[in-house]
Amino acid sequence: MTELTHTFEEPSLSLRTPATVMDLERLGSFSPTRLSFARRLTRMMFQQKWQVSCTQFELDALGHGEAVYRLQTPTHRYHVVIFSQYLEDDRRTDRVIAEAWDLTFCLVEGDVDPELMSAMAANVPLQEAGRQHPKLLVISRANKSMRNFEAFVSALASGQQPHIDYVREAGYLYRTTAVYGNGKFGIADYDRVKGSVDFEQPFSAQMAAVYILREFSVDQVEHIARQRDPSRAMTLDTDTRRYLGIGNSTGLGMAPFLINHPQLISQWILARERALATAYSQTPDEPGRQRLVQLCRRAMVYLGESQIEDDAQAERNLVARDELAQVIAWLEQVALEPDLWRRLVEWSETFQSLETQELINTLLIELYPQQVDALNDAMSAEENLDLVPDMPLVELRQILETHFDWAINADYESDETRYWFWYQSAEKEEPRLGIRAEEQGAEKELGLAIAPMAEQVYRHLNALLQKQPAGLTIELVMRHPEHMAAVRRIQTMAATVYGEIRANLWHRDMKPMHLLRAKLSFLGAHGFDPRGDRWVRVTFFQGAPLLSDFGDASTDPRRFDDWSFPVAPAKAAVASVA
Amino acid sequence: MNVSLNELQSVCRKAFLGMGFAVGHADDAAAMVTWLQSHGLQGLSVLTKNMACVTAATSRQRPQIVFEDDGLAVVDGQNLSVLASGNLAMELAYTKATKQGFAAVRMQQCRQRQLIVGYLARLAGRGINVTACWRHSQSPLLEQVVNFRAGSTVPSITATTVSEPVPVDATHDDLTVFMAKHLELMPETTVQGQQAVQYRRDEAEFTLARKAALQQGMTVSPDVWNQLKAFAALTLVQASEASRTGAGPSD
Repeated sequence: MTELTHTFEEPSLSLRTPATVMDLERLGSFSPTRLSFARRLTRMMFQQKWQVSCTQFELDALGHGEAVYRLQTPTHRYHVVIFSQYLEDDRRTDRVIAEAWDLTFCLVEGDVDPELMSAMAANVPLQEAGRQHPKLLVISRANKSMRNFEAFVSALASGQQPHIDYVREAGYLYRTTAVYGNGKFGIADYDRVKGSVDFEQPFSAQMAAVYILREFSVDQVEHIARQRDPSRAMTLDTDTRRYLGIGNSTGLGMAPFLINHPQLISQWILARERALATAYSQTPDEPGRQRLVQLCRRAMVYLGESQIEDDAQAERNLVARDELAQVIAWLEQVALEPDLWRRLVEWSETFQSLETQELINTLLIELYPQQVDALNDAMSAEENLDLVPDMPLVELRQILETHFDWAINADYESDETRYWFWYQSAEKEEPRLGIRAEEQGAEKELGLAIAPMAEQVYRHLNALLQKQPAGLTIELVMRHPEHMAAVRRIQTMAATVYGEIRANLWHRDMKPMHLLRAKLSFLGAHGFDPRGDRWVRVTFFQGAPLLSDFGDASTDPRRFDDWSFPVAPAKAAVASVA
Repeated sequence: MNVSLNELQSVCRKAFLGMGFAVGHADDAAAMVTWLQSHGLQGLSVLTKNMACVTAATSRQRPQIVFEDDGLAVVDGQNLSVLASGNLAMELAYTKATKQGFAAVRMQQCRQRQLIVGYLARLAGRGINVTACWRHSQSPLLEQVVNFRAGSTVPSITATTVSEPVPVDATHDDLTVFMAKHLELMPETTVQGQQAVQYRRDEAEFTLARKAALQQGMTVSPDVWNQLKAFAALTLVQASEASRTGAGPSD
């Protein structure tokens, strides 16, 4: 059974312990919640009545050219500028080492004048190789899902809706391969948008850019279909359009972010865990139970429909789907007692997979929007790892023994426990993973494995304490300057509720995919489909409201908020497979 | 070329790692240079004028303590850049000041002393009053005083000429830093006798410079950038077929 602990700030809330939550395999089982950044964006767009319009759409018959979408929030104006170009098939690759893409795009703060447009046209398509303008908040690129794209254009041009199998197989027309923010290649620093009401929260600007790309993807397909056959072309069915998201292909490049931003990640986890503890603390009622059953059913359909290539993940999804059926059966049999949620979670922890346990947690959070949505506002962090040089060494030792016990008591000497090393490749300076005993470059290892560092600090600290029982931290770092970063981190993270991800990132059994899954869940990605053990495809905004939904006063407000675990539109809306 | 703060700090960090700095010290050195550059104090120019005193540092560089008591320390900077171990010397001063109320650290034989301002900003942000002063070996002799109020991450800086005779063999390569927990050390610089204020910059100027850097980015010479990138490249591992398996699909 999961151990619970009371928070200092909210003694009534029982949070799960760091030992439970920060376990890498559990983090690698997270699903997106209503606090995920994609969900937050559509809620905010609805609540603040953002006005989004296409102000330029200059594409040729093949869909190549430029398009501009304007975003007007209550206080600021932004533009998403998209450059679509012809790309030879043999240059189309999702690898980060690609040099050209079907389209490139950016999110710009303020208006776009001809001078800026010209600068962007010259640089945005080059991505990393360009020098980007400081008014840009985000730059990104995407490649077509070739099979889907052509199938959609052909169907629409011939006056048909695309086959449902195309819709189900890949729920997107474009797949991004990197979405850059925070000063990359000359664009605006995150520090500049901090304090802005629109994009203060991490990754909110990136999410907005990707959301607009999703709209463009269908606008473009419909445009090409019209050009191909103006007399027969039709627009995409609204439900199908809503079911389309934007794919994303991600490799190891995402993993170091979780290690290099420990305060931020701890804050994300804390928000999620506080939401969960809040849900646990609510007294269940019959409508709540029915709603949970309904959500389980939707998630079951979603899991059943998901076309996942990775065998292991596909199996996990099937197990989760079957286990959700057990959850429904359990919910329908058990009396509606005040501790029903707690009992459900305990039962699931005893009998079900991690994937299902975390799915249940995700769905429980979904039940209480009024109580948990404000937690979104606490998902940024002032990131500052500071030394406390006057901390007595005995106190530092106590911190290590209390908060880093999982690290200081582990072994880092065997071939298994020091199997991997992380490094940065000369190719686009991307992080990679190498086998220490077999590959070159271990001497240039990135300092991402926190656990062995903590263990080394502990060893040197104990040796110094033998000589100087009243010693201070400054004496340790003066004697061992190489520990400066680790000591700062240990002192800082001990003050957070969740602290570090508890894993030895050198260990042979360590799965980098868990790191990717954890981050992607907070961004709001669905359709998690690992390809091998080092990169993954996911989908964003599948099922999310459309721009036309925002402009339609008759749209059910729930459409802007309740769109997780998207299910394919009914067959009636789309053509069935012949 | 125009670069962002994050970009500059990131490339500096990698460059210092490439030069052999340990991780925490590369972090600090990069933050110091970027702090100066983003506050209009030409950190990159200071850095690149004498790279040799930076690259000579080892990965376990630390200040050598010449003398120390509860409130005072004299340390030897070993003719290296303050980037090499100035952070540790300043943390030592901070420790003494938090214990004793106030402290002074004199760092002898150190280079690129201006760059320490970037670290002092961090310490002042932690809530301690800081004043640093040093003399430039130029004619006329220039005395620079940097003052941070506790809690403020921007200083006021005053430079005055000193007309008093100085020994011909004076080296002017030391740096003196005072820290005080409760005393505001230098609300105003006192100018006496033949001293003349060469320049004075207040907190508001630095705040504006930082804001402009965030709004417009910072201009960096391509030569300097390439120099930093060349050091940064020393941290990279050449790609191989094995490494490419982490780079996405092979389609």
